[in-house]
Parts: sequence; C-alpha cells; structure tokens
Amino acid sequence: MKLVNKTTAKSTLSCIFALATVPCLAQTAPPAAAPVPSLAAVPAIPFNRGVILLDPAHGGVDSGSRISDSILEKDVTLNLAFKLRSLLSARGFSVVMTRDSDAATQPGSPNPLTLDDRAGIANHSHPVACILLHATAAGSGVHLYSSELDATPGEPPANPWLTAQAAWVAQSQLLQKQLGLAFTRSSIPLVMSRASVRPVDSLTCPALVVELAPDGTDSSTLNDNGYQQRVAEAIATALVFWKNQAQPPAHLTPDQVPSAPSATGAKP
Amino acid sequence: MISRHQRILFWVLVGCIIAMASFLFWERERARDRIGALADATPIDAPYTNTESITLDLANDADGSVTATTRPIALPDEATARARALLEHLVAEYALPGSPHPLQSGAAVDDVFLLPLPIVGHAIDTSAKPNPGGTTATVPVASTDPTALQPQSPGGELAVINLRSSFVNAHPSGVEVESLTLLSIIGTLHANLPQIEQIRFLVDGQPRETLAGHADLLRTYPSRDTTIQSSVPDAP
Repeated sequence: MKLVNKTTAKSTLSCIFALATVPCLAQTAPPAAAPVPSLAAVPAIPFNRGVILLDPAHGGVDSGSRISDSILEKDVTLNLAFKLRSLLSARGFSVVMTRDSDAATQPGSPNPLTLDDRAGIANHSHPVACILLHATAAGSGVHLYSSELDATPGEPPANPWLTAQAAWVAQSQLLQKQLGLAFTRSSIPLVMSRASVRPVDSLTCPALVVELAPDGTDSSTLNDNGYQQRVAEAIATALVFWKNQAQPPAHLTPDQVPSAPSATGAKP
Repeated sequence: MISRHQRILFWVLVGCIIAMASFLFWERERARDRIGALADATPIDAPYTNTESITLDLANDADGSVTATTRPIALPDEATARARALLEHLVAEYALPGSPHPLQSGAAVDDVFLLPLPIVGHAIDTSAKPNPGGTTATVPVASTDPTALQPQSPGGELAVINLRSSFVNAHPSGVEVESLTLLSIIGTLHANLPQIEQIRFLVDGQPRETLAGHADLLRTYPSRDTTIQSSVPDAP
C-alpha cells in the first residue's frame, strides 16, 4: 500500500512538474534563425509580452499638422489611439498611453510632455511594441516607418540615449513587416520606409511610426470612424501575432560592443 | 447766396482731396521702390552658361518613392554655389503645378557651407612667442571625442545647409512629406557632389528640432543614395 502511495506521489509530482513546465516553455521565445554564438550565454533583455505602448503624437499647444480648418493631427492621433486601446484591451493586452487627453503633460505635473519624456514612459514599461501614431494630409493609406539607425547585434552596457533603438532595429523591421502584411490583407494602401523621427531612436522596444493618411484623396476621411476602426483592427490583429514572435536583443559585454551605430538609413 | 458755412466746408473738402492725392502719390513711390529692390539683378554668383546633365532625386508623396531624374541645368563651378544652385533647382521643381511633392515656391536655401572633415578647432599655441602686434598664435586641434565627425575617405566634406525660415515655416507637415524632402536633398547632393559625406541642417543660422514638426533636423545625415521605391511586404 505504501509502495502504491509512493508511486502515486511520484507520478503526481511528475505531472505537476510537467504541467508547470508547459507555460514556461510557452513563455520562452523560439530560438533565433541565426544566433550569434558569442552572445548565446548573455541573457536577453526581458520585456512584457502583454504590454503595448501607444504614443498619440502631439497634444496640448502642439497641435501637429493642420490637416484642414477643423481637423488637427493631435485629435486624429488621440481618436485612433482610443480605438486601438479598446481593441488591444479586448485581446488581452495591457495598454500604456503617453497621453489620454488633449493635454500632453508630465504625470502629476503641468509641465508639457517632451519627446524625451515620451521615450522615458515607453522605456519604463518594457513593452513588446511601441506604436507612435501620427496623421497627415499628404499621400493616402498608412505610412509605416522604422528607425534609420543601423542595427547592432545586441544592447551595449552603456546604451547612448540618442541611439538606444539600434539594438532593437531588427525587431522593429520585423514588426514593420508584420503590420505591413496586416494592412495589405485589409486592402489599406501602404508605404513602408525608414525615417528619423524623434523620439524613435531613443526607444528600447520594437518601435514603429504609424502615420495615418487619408483614405483616397479626401483629407476629411482622416476623421472617419469607420476608416480609423479598419486601420486600428489591422494593427491589433498584427500585434496579436507579434506578441509571440518578438525576440528581445541580448546584452552585450564591453568586449562585444561594436563601434557607435550610425544612421545610414539603408533601404528597407 | 452761398452761406459762410458752406464755403468753409467746400474748402475743407478740397484740402482733404489734395492731402489724399499727395498721400496716394507718396505710397505709389514707396511701392515702386520696394518692387524695384526685389527685382534687383545685381549679380551675386559668377555667371555660368554651360548646361550639363544633372541628377535630381525627386520625391513622390503618393507612393513614398524617390526617383533619380536627369535635367539639363547650368550650374556654377564653385562647389558651395553649385550645391546652393542645385537645391534651388530642386525646390523649384517641387513648386511647379502638378508636382507629386508640392512645396511652396520661393528661395529655400540661404547658404551652403562645405567644411573639410574631420572638423578641427583651434587652440592658443603656448609654445609660440608673443607677437609684437598683440595677436595670439593658434594651432589646429582635432577633436578627442571618438564620436566626432570623421571622414570616410580623404577629402570628405560636411555640408551645412542653412535653410530659410520662410521655406521651413511653409513646409507641409507630416512624417512622409518631411522625410521625402530631406531624402531628396540628401540624394541630390550625393549624386552631384560626391565629396560631401555628411549633411547637417540649420534654419536661419540656428539649429531647429524638426523640419515641420516631424523629421529630425538636429542630427547629422550621411550623404547617400536615397532613391527608394515603394515597398509592400510579400504575402506569406
């Protein structure tokens, strides 16, 4: 009887161990396609796979682009961010927004939110994706931009503020492709490129600038709820897939640090 | 019989007419002088007549592309005047009706400065004897900062483009449209002045954070081929 109890206890323990291992394995990111051997032992930077950072650009006295007499960029970006936040929350994400009202001020202070403040909010959240929302009357559809910095193989011990994104550029470009596919499937016209737009280069997360342009040639469509909803749904769908694909960069030791990253802006 | 009051009113009105006519004549003279000053054709750059085939990297807002296009243009030989003339021709292309990247017409570039790389400063030469005239001898000093601007090849130059605030303030706002303007300028300089390796922007002689709220104007851009075609991801 004791033997039976021992065996049962052992198998129960094994089951518990196996069950405990499954979610751990699910959390573990799949191995990179071409891992760098020298970086294998260096742990990767952790990030929160359930957190998305949304930055509705401009706000307060900074109205951004004046799209028409009645449409300002800061209002379009905030409306789009609200729609996106609802969709992402429904999909189980926790959404951090740099502003959730017209005013862009520092938390608990009337001081205006600078671009560096926005990057600071993003970097403290360790999100799986940082989406910077902009709007313009030029062109049509959606314009997707990643940083112009050259990609580095990992994050150096002392990461310069103005080139912090360099370690994440490869991931940002993968996210750009993921979002690009989602927009193509949704039949939304798309332009993908690289640009130097502050504060993207200071972000330590896969980061993209999503610029909403009119649906066709009529700039008033930027305020169209249906159009904004379609764009937000495409982004939310892509981010659900991205959640399990994102790979944080490895920490570099001082002897692995390459020369300072430059912004060559190579073609995408 | 005309009353005294009516006579006074009449002469007051005549006086007003004469005063207004004088004022209008004075204003007309002022306007003529102003227009004459704007149309001043005093030569600033050396005259040039040889037309050559020049590559302009032209942007298109519709698909976000930058395409190399050749145009027969007469340009000066001197490098800084050449760079400035190139950029003025580029902006003039965008000001034409039906332009795929419409910008406001008018002068866009105040100056272009070409500086040899690496950038060196000057320090007082403590070993030199004091000059009788009271002047102090200096020696060139290279920057000890490892991230300072360095040439990729001997003879490499940094171009500092001083834009006019009238051009920057009237520039359309948006990530795409601002980035395309910068890419177009960078690509055009790269195609025609290969000695330029890096490019910086000023506005009325001062650094400015962005072109029109989006594209970064504070950083140093590498001179490179910026021709890009619109890219759309392949379906899996």
